[in-house]
Amino acid sequence: MSAYIDQFPEEAKVIRSAFYASFFALALGAAFGLIQTLHRTDFVRIIPAEMYYTVLTAHGVLMVVTFTIFFLVAIFTWAVTTSLDRGVEDIRFTWSWYGLMTLGTAFAAIAILAGFTDRTEISADVLFTFYAPLQAHPMFYVGLVLFVIGTWLAGADWFRSWWAWKQENPDKRIPLPTFMVLTTMIMWYLATLGVATSIIAFLLPWSLGLIDTVNPTLTRTLFWFWGHPVVYFWLMPAYMMWYIMLPKFSGGRLFSDPLARVVFVLFLLLSTPVGIHHQYLDPGIAEGFKFIAMTNTMFLLLPSLLTAFTVVASMEHGARQRGGEGYFGWLGALPWRDPVFTGMALAGLMFAAGGFSGMINAGMNINYLVHNSLWVPGHFHLTVGTAVALTFMAVSYYFIPQVTGRRLASKQIALVQVVMWFVGMTFMSNAMHRGGLLGMPRRTAEPEYAGFQFETAIGTVGELNAQIALGGVLLTLSTLLFIVNMSITALNDRDDDLPSNTIPEPLSGPNEAPLVLDNLKLWTAIAVVLVIFAYSLPLASIVERGGLFGPGGDAFPMFLELADSFGFALVGETLSAMVSSLLETLRTVV
Amino acid sequence: MNIHNYEKLWLIAAMLLIIGFIVTITYGSVGLGIAMIDDSEETIDPNALEDHERFGDLGVHQTGDGEYDVNIRAYQFNFEPGSSALGVHDPIVVPENSEVTLYVTSPDVIHSFSVVGTNANTMVVPGEISVMTVEFNEAREYGILCNEYCGSGHHGMEGVIEVVPEDEFHLFSVAGVDAPESAQAGDEVEITATVDNDALDADSAAVSLEIGEETFENELEVDAESSASTTFTVDTGALDLEDAVDIDWTVTVEDGSEATLEDGSASGSIALETDDDENDDTTDDDNDESDGGDQ
Repeated sequence: MSAYIDQFPEEAKVIRSAFYASFFALALGAAFGLIQTLHRTDFVRIIPAEMYYTVLTAHGVLMVVTFTIFFLVAIFTWAVTTSLDRGVEDIRFTWSWYGLMTLGTAFAAIAILAGFTDRTEISADVLFTFYAPLQAHPMFYVGLVLFVIGTWLAGADWFRSWWAWKQENPDKRIPLPTFMVLTTMIMWYLATLGVATSIIAFLLPWSLGLIDTVNPTLTRTLFWFWGHPVVYFWLMPAYMMWYIMLPKFSGGRLFSDPLARVVFVLFLLLSTPVGIHHQYLDPGIAEGFKFIAMTNTMFLLLPSLLTAFTVVASMEHGARQRGGEGYFGWLGALPWRDPVFTGMALAGLMFAAGGFSGMINAGMNINYLVHNSLWVPGHFHLTVGTAVALTFMAVSYYFIPQVTGRRLASKQIALVQVVMWFVGMTFMSNAMHRGGLLGMPRRTAEPEYAGFQFETAIGTVGELNAQIALGGVLLTLSTLLFIVNMSITALNDRDDDLPSNTIPEPLSGPNEAPLVLDNLKLWTAIAVVLVIFAYSLPLASIVERGGLFGPGGDAFPMFLELADSFGFALVGETLSAMVSSLLETLRTVV
Repeated sequence: MNIHNYEKLWLIAAMLLIIGFIVTITYGSVGLGIAMIDDSEETIDPNALEDHERFGDLGVHQTGDGEYDVNIRAYQFNFEPGSSALGVHDPIVVPENSEVTLYVTSPDVIHSFSVVGTNANTMVVPGEISVMTVEFNEAREYGILCNEYCGSGHHGMEGVIEVVPEDEFHLFSVAGVDAPESAQAGDEVEITATVDNDALDADSAAVSLEIGEETFENELEVDAESSASTTFTVDTGALDLEDAVDIDWTVTVEDGSEATLEDGSASGSIALETDDDENDDTTDDDNDESDGGDQ
């Protein structure tokens, strides 16, 4: 029994480097976040208004691409090596994908940060969503491509480990952590096809001047083809932590291995065919397609609701093992002084709140009220900004000592840090949700208008701004505490009493899970079919309407004929017309 | 697979919740008739909006009894019409108790057209036309903003919808003004204003002429979708001209809006001649440099 660094010293170095890259992005992203929160609420304005969008692009990309995904590759490498109990097949390959991801980040970051200076023409003020016709410097797109290829290779690395393990263990079930990694990566391969097509086929050639125009609806749709599953890519490492580590930190064991597998399979199947729910208010997409995307989205609630049950049940089991009693009394028996546990539990609590605001977003016609309002960043600061980010920070207090062998600098400061994040986010996020309901826009430097004012039913705009700014400051301070604590830990003395790197067995083990759950080929095939169902017709319709390169430019005729010859366009029109006319008929009947 | 009873209950409850959501949304869509922005309109060349039948003719148009179309161009960083707060364009003016269909497109990047504090909200994508039908049942003002980042001036992209009482709403515009270019001081001059009524009902227009320091007002009955003229006869001798060389005039028609820019007016000036002027021809000229109005 020993710490991770003793078991896998070489892998620990890569994991460490990935954690550090992710923390660096977090620190930088938090600094930009502070500038934004104070600028937008008009407390401190140190930058000109137009520079806000450079700051916002950097905040978005660094937080939701760099911070989250570097953390993911660290955690996934840990999960695969630990649960298969074998090192990576070739550490040079592992370093190469890490290098590629770093290079990609550097390219994208340079393009974005160059927006701060007039000395160069380079800029990428396109925000995280880079909707054409807004255009970034080619370096930005190249950076994203390199980064994504890096993640593909990382996935290949983990699959390679699994295949090698399977040769030696032909009759064993895929260990749960590895199962989670593999299903998540299949989802990721499928999802990134969208963004890769968007960038490689359209945006990059367009930014290089090789093609004159793009179809804004097409690139936007391809973005969301990836843009929704990416939120599950952020969430899955957090889910993995809730499933396999939170029970351990609660003092118990996971409730059910089979249901954990079911949940990850559901995410693989349902994460991608839902992206159009980000485009409910887009012209040029039929109502029928939006309705289909909404139905899929609603069913995507299921794995999250199941997770809520399992996580709480596992915590309760842990608490009862520790002597907790009563209907709610067991809550008191949980290890609330442990920052790892407390951070994760608070993150899970906020995810419940974020889930509810997400259900509102998902409602096709309710979405009119909140679309692109401040409600939306309010929502995702609960999900990716807390459920994911706070879980990541909390488990770092466990993992950094594991992969460095150093003693955690301060458990007390860590506890203060996770609680401060929770409090800060409570202020910021509730005020953002409320502001959104008044119609306050997201992504806006100075939301103060000459011709009208926002009308509040309760409280004032000033009070909302004060809460947002206060919350933002607390979150920045919390991040600072985290970074300082982690930095000192990295340079701290060696800790010879580290807990051993183990994952406790679930109460209901893998042998109770039907074998079919481990049939990754089957799930991949179903996932592909669902994506084809959800996307081929809308994409064909978008291309037919606006052409591959948009209504303003010349379409590439071969592709259009191809689409027609398959009858895609025809079938698409028929299907969407059927759903639309069904809705229409029902409307007249009612 | 062994599923705990509690977990089964939870699973059933979760499925019921999901189905409940779908039913609720379907009810909103079908029962309340909240349709989604869709692909009902043809695409449009974003570089040639002015050639499009709709977007070549921006503004409010009556299509039926209490029904109006508004054609709006959302561009970096204004709404035309709409962005009136800083005097760039007219506001959007519609009567209360009306059903208004908004047509919005963009010649440049993706914007939104969002009526603040309501669920009237749509993306505006170049190449596509967003259509939304909304009801205005109360005379009041609404703010409009762009909630999709559209470039460095995004935060300044705003506008106003003025919903006015029905009897204050008109679709008049000054089509042209016939006024002499010059006149002898002390002569009578005739100024004839032609007013268009774009509404589907005949309407009575309050046409006013401001000349020198004086204001004259004529009532004018204009048939539906047609024009009518009214003539003001002004005795320049009665005007307080002091040492003026020109007499400035402005013709205005009440169109219901407190517009700031193209406020339904046309203006010009009459040069004053003294007896020793060699050229005392009085030429009439169609003084029509502004055909503004609330179209």
